[in-house]
Amino acid sequence: MRKLTKAIAVAAVAGLAATACSGETKNSGGSSAGEGDPFIFGSGGQVTTLDPVLTSDGETFRVTRQVYDTLLDHDGVEMVPGLAESWEGSDDGLDWHFKLRSDVTFHDGSELTGDVVCQNFDRWQTFEGEWEAVTYYWGNMFQGYGEESNYAGCEADGLDVTVSVKEASADYPGAFSMATFAILSPKSIEKIKDVELEDASEMPDYSQEVGSLAGTGPFKFDSWDHSSNEITLTRNDEYWGDKAGLETLIFKAIENEQTRRQALISGEIHGYDLVSPADVIELEKEGFNVPTRDVFNVLYLGFTEGNNPALAKPEVRQAIAHALDRERVVDTILPEGGKVATQFMPEGLNAWNPDVQTYEHDMDEAQDLVSSAGEDGTTLEFCYPTDVVRPYMPNVADIFEIFKANLEEAGFEVEPRAITWTDYVQEVHNAGCELNLLGWTGDFNEAFNFLGTWFDGYKEEWGFEDEEIFDLMSEARTEPDREKRDELLSEASALIMDYLPGVPISHSPPSIVFTDDVNAPTVSPLTQEDFAEMSWK
Amino acid sequence: MLRHTLKRLLQLIPALLGLTVVLFIWYKLMPGGPEYALLPENASDAQREAMRESLGLNDSIWVQYGNFLKDIVTFDFGSSVTTGREVSTEIAERFPATLELGLAAMVLAIVVGVPLGYFAARKRGSLLDVAAVSGSLIGICTPVFFLAVVLKVIFAELLGWLPTLGRLSSGETYTDITGFRVLDGLLSGEFHVAWDAVQHLILPAMALASIPLAIITRITRASVLEVMDEDYVRTANAKGLGQTTVRVSHVMRNALLPVVTVVGLLFGGLFAGAVLTETVFEINGIGRFVYTATSNRDFPALLGCIMLVAVVFVLINLLVDLSYNLIDPRLRVK
Repeated sequence: MRKLTKAIAVAAVAGLAATACSGETKNSGGSSAGEGDPFIFGSGGQVTTLDPVLTSDGETFRVTRQVYDTLLDHDGVEMVPGLAESWEGSDDGLDWHFKLRSDVTFHDGSELTGDVVCQNFDRWQTFEGEWEAVTYYWGNMFQGYGEESNYAGCEADGLDVTVSVKEASADYPGAFSMATFAILSPKSIEKIKDVELEDASEMPDYSQEVGSLAGTGPFKFDSWDHSSNEITLTRNDEYWGDKAGLETLIFKAIENEQTRRQALISGEIHGYDLVSPADVIELEKEGFNVPTRDVFNVLYLGFTEGNNPALAKPEVRQAIAHALDRERVVDTILPEGGKVATQFMPEGLNAWNPDVQTYEHDMDEAQDLVSSAGEDGTTLEFCYPTDVVRPYMPNVADIFEIFKANLEEAGFEVEPRAITWTDYVQEVHNAGCELNLLGWTGDFNEAFNFLGTWFDGYKEEWGFEDEEIFDLMSEARTEPDREKRDELLSEASALIMDYLPGVPISHSPPSIVFTDDVNAPTVSPLTQEDFAEMSWK
Repeated sequence: MLRHTLKRLLQLIPALLGLTVVLFIWYKLMPGGPEYALLPENASDAQREAMRESLGLNDSIWVQYGNFLKDIVTFDFGSSVTTGREVSTEIAERFPATLELGLAAMVLAIVVGVPLGYFAARKRGSLLDVAAVSGSLIGICTPVFFLAVVLKVIFAELLGWLPTLGRLSSGETYTDITGFRVLDGLLSGEFHVAWDAVQHLILPAMALASIPLAIITRITRASVLEVMDEDYVRTANAKGLGQTTVRVSHVMRNALLPVVTVVGLLFGGLFAGAVLTETVFEINGIGRFVYTATSNRDFPALLGCIMLVAVVFVLINLLVDLSYNLIDPRLRVK
């Protein structure tokens, strides 16, 4: 029996040693991949569809953006030509003229013309029935379908296209740059035009199979392995712009942030997004390249006034604003480059107002305001989400703890309520909390995309009514002139900060990481990195 | 025997029906709906309402339950709200991953646990015995996800010996025959794929095996100790039978009966552990599907997975029952 035990022990050691020898894959920031090797990126979630109009999910857009092009694109937050080499809006904001690039071909060989662009718009507008439930952004940006839609029509003449709308909106031209409104080839549209959808939970087959849809982007779909949540893209050698530096690009969904980090260190992937701020320095020390994007989001503490009479008192709202130690959150929790927010939009926007009322961290002032309002010891129910990392909110539980202590010091009682993310959004949306932490990352460079998200009318979630703010917001929404609109929104921002329906907390720069052996793409504040810019060193 | 098997299979029907009621009530009591997981933070009420309507969440509770039963009978669980693909397709793709992991964990637990328990009993009071008993206590007490994370940190992050996620390295091309990556690699002659799959299995299987291993060790040890004191073992020894014959035919054969029962129960229980293990190791199996389905209120997916697990659980226990007859001839006579 001793012999047997010995044999087992020897086999075990030999096995482990064999594994050790052959399994050596650890990354040290600079691994040994090179030309021809696939670049593997760890996405935060799985791709749900290859047809970008059927989703609002950022991880899906990250992939589709490499395969399809949109009429307009972004350089930083600035709008730049995409498939359209130039564009112009009419003075009344109702007609949008695009001059398309010439010699652009789709992956299936068809050519880009104005008619193709119109076919895409017409397809989106005529969605009906169950399709309406799954095409969130069309409903949002073009306010509905068929006759009800704000979309009035599309006319094409060669490479000239005019998209018309019924009412001017702050959403244009930004909407034309959104990944969801990617231009599909005419053959693709012809192929899928009669597809029926049973319900919103069912993604049509064509959207799950590589080969059904063709775009014009720098990469083409090669394969989609659902069983391992991996999408492989290959270089489009016929691309109209600069050809991609990588031959093969793989997006692998890894939902857990710690797992992404471990996979990077162990050499299984070459980059990932939404790096935890706590890991940034460590990863840099290990030789990884951890660029940080410019801020283009806002985290806020929202008040639901209807749920607690104390919150309807301006002194109480101001007391909360003075009590919150936002500098500490920015200094200790957010990544380098984070900023305290003075208003509900980031600084880079033209409508950002330098003269809004600000509320410095001042505990004495907070305590005085609480006392003068007669709200000493008032209980505030404070909801915060669990199981979630958002670009604007990297570590929400820690942020909550700081604010809870601040509010208690100011004289309030805090009743914490931790809720899982899906339920949390619903609870906040249905005015189920008194205080909540939420935020927003802008879709494009437009202040209304921030302020309009919350303040373009009465919302139960906030429970406040201020006609002056609402009127100004609705004027801004339909103001076609960009400059005038920015002025209106700037004014609205000042009014909002006077009223203080919630406290803007911070702007957080989300970090992304790459191994050192790859030339990383220019990082985008809108998290719209162009992977075609990448190449192995 | 056949009658017994059929009876057990028929008993499955009321059990599953009861499970559907429990599941349905639980689902209806849960706050939140998939429309909040599927739409962005700023979606309008109208958009959320359209999504609910389309998902059939506005139908009366009886209509929803009726649809739900109809789906089960026709083996059509609908589409997963999270992935947009048919639940049956998802399950067909993911089940082999979970089964492969479960089998690997169970083989590990048995191959290590049974001999360890046996030798601990034989050398009662020795260092090996003390180590086995205290080691198994630690094994039972250590949460699976914690062990999984520790294993990853040591073997993947620090040593870089083993991969941290998935079933194969990214970009690895493979021939899909059975859905079991190791087996497929061997069958198709792609031995590097089989080896890659084995490497990917080691850490999750170790994590998942920890609790069954500890339990099997303890049960084997206790069972062997009990059997060694039995009259028939003494008689066998007195008859002058060889030690190997006594140990294999008299001790182990009798001692294995409770072990087999426990293995059956543990195998069903592995699905619970798989939820954690697959989530930590990002293995696209049933466990991870259940995890994401729960957080996204993806009822069709949850329903399909839980029904599958229930059926598998019952079938495994049936197999355990049947295996008693093989191990213990006395039961055949009865």
